[in-house]
Amino acid sequence: MIDSEEHPYVEWIAREARRPVLTDSAARARLMAAIRAEAPRALRRRRWAGLLAPRTLMLSPLGGALLAAGLVGIGVIAGRFVHNRDVRAADGRSTTVAVTPQLPVSDTVVQFVFTAPRTTRVSLVGDFNDWDTNRTPLTYDGNVGVWTVTLPLSAGRHLYAFVVDGSWIPDPRAPLAPDGGFGHANSVKIVGGSRS
Amino acid sequence: MQTFVRFVTDRHVTRATGGWVIAKDMSDDAADVQRVLAGDVEAYAALVDRYYDRCARFAIRMLGDRDDAEDALQATFLRAYRALHRYQERDRFSAWLYRILVNQCRSIAARRSHRERVFVREEAVLLNAPARATSWAGEDEEIVQRVLAELDPLLREAFLLKYIEEMSYEEMSALTGVGVSALKMRVKRACDRLRDRWERIKDD
Amino acid sequence: MTHTPWRRRAASLASASALAVLCAVSVRGQDPDPLGRLDPNSRFAIELIMDSASTAGLPTRPLMSKVLEGISRKADGRRIVAVVRTDFGYLKTARATLGGVSEEELAAAAAVLEAGAKPSQLAAFRVRQRGRSDLEAFTDWADLLTRGVPRDDASSAITKLWQDGADDATFHNLWKSVQSDILQGLNPGTALQNRVRETPGGPTPRKVKPPEGQQENQSSR
Repeated sequence: MIDSEEHPYVEWIAREARRPVLTDSAARARLMAAIRAEAPRALRRRRWAGLLAPRTLMLSPLGGALLAAGLVGIGVIAGRFVHNRDVRAADGRSTTVAVTPQLPVSDTVVQFVFTAPRTTRVSLVGDFNDWDTNRTPLTYDGNVGVWTVTLPLSAGRHLYAFVVDGSWIPDPRAPLAPDGGFGHANSVKIVGGSRS
Repeated sequence: MQTFVRFVTDRHVTRATGGWVIAKDMSDDAADVQRVLAGDVEAYAALVDRYYDRCARFAIRMLGDRDDAEDALQATFLRAYRALHRYQERDRFSAWLYRILVNQCRSIAARRSHRERVFVREEAVLLNAPARATSWAGEDEEIVQRVLAELDPLLREAFLLKYIEEMSYEEMSALTGVGVSALKMRVKRACDRLRDRWERIKDD
Repeated sequence: MTHTPWRRRAASLASASALAVLCAVSVRGQDPDPLGRLDPNSRFAIELIMDSASTAGLPTRPLMSKVLEGISRKADGRRIVAVVRTDFGYLKTARATLGGVSEEELAAAAAVLEAGAKPSQLAAFRVRQRGRSDLEAFTDWADLLTRGVPRDDASSAITKLWQDGADDATFHNLWKSVQSDILQGLNPGTALQNRVRETPGGPTPRKVKPPEGQQENQSSR
């Protein structure tokens, strides 16, 4: 609403500007033609919502045993992964069906280590767990005096940080990614390269 | 001072195509969106019909050039179509659409380089000049376009959203991502500039 | 979890607990609508940026990750929008500079720009080397810049190494030793120059001309 205190010239400009404009019906026709040509696209699911679909991974027995025995450091168990599908049985209960081992899933089991006293609380946040501070706590290894957690990561570049007693801290053992504007730098983990 | 006299008497003219949202419009919009998502492309034509002219008015006032405005409109309605699945019913379709429109206008304005500055002649001179054929309504509209073109784009945008689209500051803030107080300042500055302009020419 | 016939019990027990941990940490996207945690203004702004990104053929995953990071950091919605917009800008520039590279390399290249490199310095990597990924090189480059190595020093060091065909291990080791020196207090630029001189097959240090025909470096690491 025009402020009645507003200068009359300003009001005039506004009023004139509010007049309807002539539009070109040919342009409108072209627009609808372009829309019709694109018709199937409107039905497409969100292109990027698929990123958020849940995924679960299960280890084969060998992988599981190795992990439980603590023999897994930074290493590849790519060939051991088996994708399991959740299948709805006829009565609605879900059962897990082991799909025959496929080509190696490009996931690598990676161990994260952070040195801090036993009395701290340490968790891992990163682009692999939606930066959720509660999702991936580290556990203290009294023998070595470090906090660790091991988890599978997809091949490629991952950003992460440790949350230590509430503070976000980059990994002193890893390359830094520049502060993107949240006031702190993250760490970078490259998975699946020639080094790992 | 013919110009001054004219707009004093025009003060009581009712506004054209004012208003933002009526409840009926909202449910129509949502219904049409659902139809489009269900596969009815022609339902999108209904949405276009409802908003094209209003969007065109904004685009032309904002960009000052008919071709650019058409580009902005095409891009806006195409993008809106592609992004329709992201539209949430609880949001106003017009606000959602305008967000896209405002951004498109900004992109197109940014892409324009080496545009000649609009040659501005004083209104007093114009009033005495012979009428020139334009594709727009008349000389008043041309004056308005020139005056608006003089404004810094961000000021112009805020002025148009406030006084032509008649949005609330909250709506404008949601649209532009700019804070309410910053927007109020922009609108005020736009009015100041226009007023200054008037001060400059009225004594001619 | 049901047992499948071919598992041994002992392993299955160990597996089950390991699995529980791994499944817990590997399930993604527990929140079906993470953007819903943003205020409507910010949400709309980000959706537009995402739309622009995917229309331009740029990866949206890194942008989404930034949003989630910002939400977890309890950052203000407008700050998150600004960060995503900035990131989008760097991705765009990286794409314009490098052309078609993998998503990962693009994100890593964007980080190099964000850390301060000039697009012209990134342009040297446009000529793709067969079968090579520049992920390691870009990552180490961004790190060095972030730690304060002067922009042009870092650029010439990384570029020359790359042009000489250095492998990922070489980049990684260079980074590791420079990082260690910086952490011990050495000036970042100096740290880089020192280690560059040492790197076998590495680039010629800026101020020293190598004698003709002689190998650059004899010392081992």
